[in-house]
Amino acid sequence: MTHYDAIIVGAGAGGGVAAGVLAGAGKRILMLERGPRSEFAQVPRDHLRSQRGSFYGHNAGPDIEGNPRTLEDGSIVLPHQRGYQNNAAMVGGGTRVFGAQAWRFMPQDFRMASIYGVPEGSSLADWPIDYEELEPWYERVEWEIGVSGTDSAMTHLPPYKRPYPMPSLQPNTAMRTHMKGLEKLGWQSLPMPQFINSVDYNGRQACIRCQQCVGFACPVEAKNGTHNTTIAAALRSGNCKLKSGVMVERIDCDDGGRVRGVNWIDNAGERDSATAEIVIVSAGAVESARLLFNSATKREPNGLGNHSDQVGRHLQGHYYPLAVGLFPERMMDNLGPGGGVATCQFNHDNPDVIGGGMLADDFIVLPIISWKIYVPRDIKRWGLSAKQFMRDRYRCLGDIKGPVHEIPSPEGRVTLDPKVRDKFGIPVAHLSGTTHPETVRTASFIYDRAEEWLRASGAEKVWGYRPDLRLSGGQHQAGTCRMGEDPAESVVDPWQRVHGHDNLFVLDGSVHVTNGGFNPVLTIMATSWRAAEHIVEQW
Amino acid sequence: MFNERQLQTLHAAIDRIIPEDDFPGGVEAGVADYLLKQLGRDLTHLAQDYPRFTDALEAEAQAAHCQAFAALEDGQQDALLTRVELGEVEADWPLDPAAFFADFVEHCAEGFYSDPGNGGNRDGVSWRMIGYEVNG
Repeated sequence: MTHYDAIIVGAGAGGGVAAGVLAGAGKRILMLERGPRSEFAQVPRDHLRSQRGSFYGHNAGPDIEGNPRTLEDGSIVLPHQRGYQNNAAMVGGGTRVFGAQAWRFMPQDFRMASIYGVPEGSSLADWPIDYEELEPWYERVEWEIGVSGTDSAMTHLPPYKRPYPMPSLQPNTAMRTHMKGLEKLGWQSLPMPQFINSVDYNGRQACIRCQQCVGFACPVEAKNGTHNTTIAAALRSGNCKLKSGVMVERIDCDDGGRVRGVNWIDNAGERDSATAEIVIVSAGAVESARLLFNSATKREPNGLGNHSDQVGRHLQGHYYPLAVGLFPERMMDNLGPGGGVATCQFNHDNPDVIGGGMLADDFIVLPIISWKIYVPRDIKRWGLSAKQFMRDRYRCLGDIKGPVHEIPSPEGRVTLDPKVRDKFGIPVAHLSGTTHPETVRTASFIYDRAEEWLRASGAEKVWGYRPDLRLSGGQHQAGTCRMGEDPAESVVDPWQRVHGHDNLFVLDGSVHVTNGGFNPVLTIMATSWRAAEHIVEQW
Repeated sequence: MFNERQLQTLHAAIDRIIPEDDFPGGVEAGVADYLLKQLGRDLTHLAQDYPRFTDALEAEAQAAHCQAFAALEDGQQDALLTRVELGEVEADWPLDPAAFFADFVEHCAEGFYSDPGNGGNRDGVSWRMIGYEVNG
């Protein structure tokens, strides 16, 4: 059996960063990914089956067949269906097809319980680390992965110590219109920081401003994920062996709590295993929790790290209030990726609600998504008038939406389904509960601000979606292995080592205590970079 | 899956959901091709219901006008489809008319507005119509 310094389970944002750091430090690593290692052409630009519009399937995994989950009402859901809380499964994970927003969380986001108190029934808590601790790692990721942005516009944050490595992309028509709206309202206005090359950077070219960005792979690799940065570097170093298309079945742990290695099954059903000095779990908040459950031992019959019944709890993602406006003039000028002007005016200090969230205009909306979600609900959906609405007004639709900082509940959770198994015969994730109802109040407040912004930008008609209470996760899934000092209330310590296990770590969104009012990927990468460097230092 | 008569009815209905104007109607734009492809892929569960739906439209046309659906004037077809949309049907329907019609409308839109790789939106005609351009 082959022995490695480290085995990393999952080649997404967290695992991809860990691979780069460890391989760069000379550690011999094995990286296991259940999805494929795909070329651009193998990530279809299918408008009915993408990570943006999963009407009949996906373009970035997991496979529709053989990977079910179950819900509280007893139903079995497939990866593209509502309630599954899917995230991409391929080398690069979600970063292969993401919208590439590169937000730092705010200092207040790490201190939610201290600032707002803990609503009854919620598990709102402070992080054990603060913004100051994470700041150098944010900066590191911004430079190593590659972020375009305007640091001087980030007035909601402490001053940056180092600017972004690339300037912001030039605004398109919609962005310029929405900037005028913000100016009229007197709200903060900033160009969204993005993992997108605005100029040639790190040997890859600048963005060609195409119209199929979010939900799809980049045709020119100007979108910076882990697949074309840290994982690529790890593979170049010769220290990283990458196996894609393999599903890790369990982590092998001895009676003393020391992890020995992992077992996996490939797509042909063949089993194999390897041992390692350390194991890093980076499978995403749902699958990382599932793997810990499925690795139960005599000593920990409810799953590794689950002695305090914390694994799988506090599942959170983001509620997305979405307001759509019909404008008298054309907003859409085909200059992609779209989605570029934002305000952090309402992330905190809002009257009578807890937290808040960033608001921004959205990426260019695919025609079929516009038809299904964006056109006004009171228009007739067939006949000449419907066709001519799209002909005349598709380009006149504008939207504002944003991720609301969720108030977690311990009841919003991942457990194992007692009966249903995946195609490998491994028990699947069962999802139950919701986030705390306070989230709905905050989301409703943020929705009203989105409408207000659209009107200020000149929309003649505004409508939209005010989120209802539900379980959240999806592409922003977090919280199921929360970070903390106290093993009774958390799963990993502040260095992301699983309590009670010297050589088992979780490096992904699972460790987020709360998930900010921002897309979480930069924070996943920053925490992972910090933890991986610490692992190397302590070796 | 569809006999000749059913296919005629289907095409006639598609062209009222997405009628021809300065730009092609649904059938010319490939919506029927999209639908047939999907009935063998993601919509296999509707492979029996779709022919039944066209039969029901036909029965509805016979009941109201003693004529084939495809032979009706545009305005008569629209009026008939509006009754189906509202569930106000005269013939005996083997499926929920309003619910099936709503799905049919969505399937037509999917064929018309999604990427040409799905079998409809021939040569990107709907994208040209609405001004969605693709580069790269």
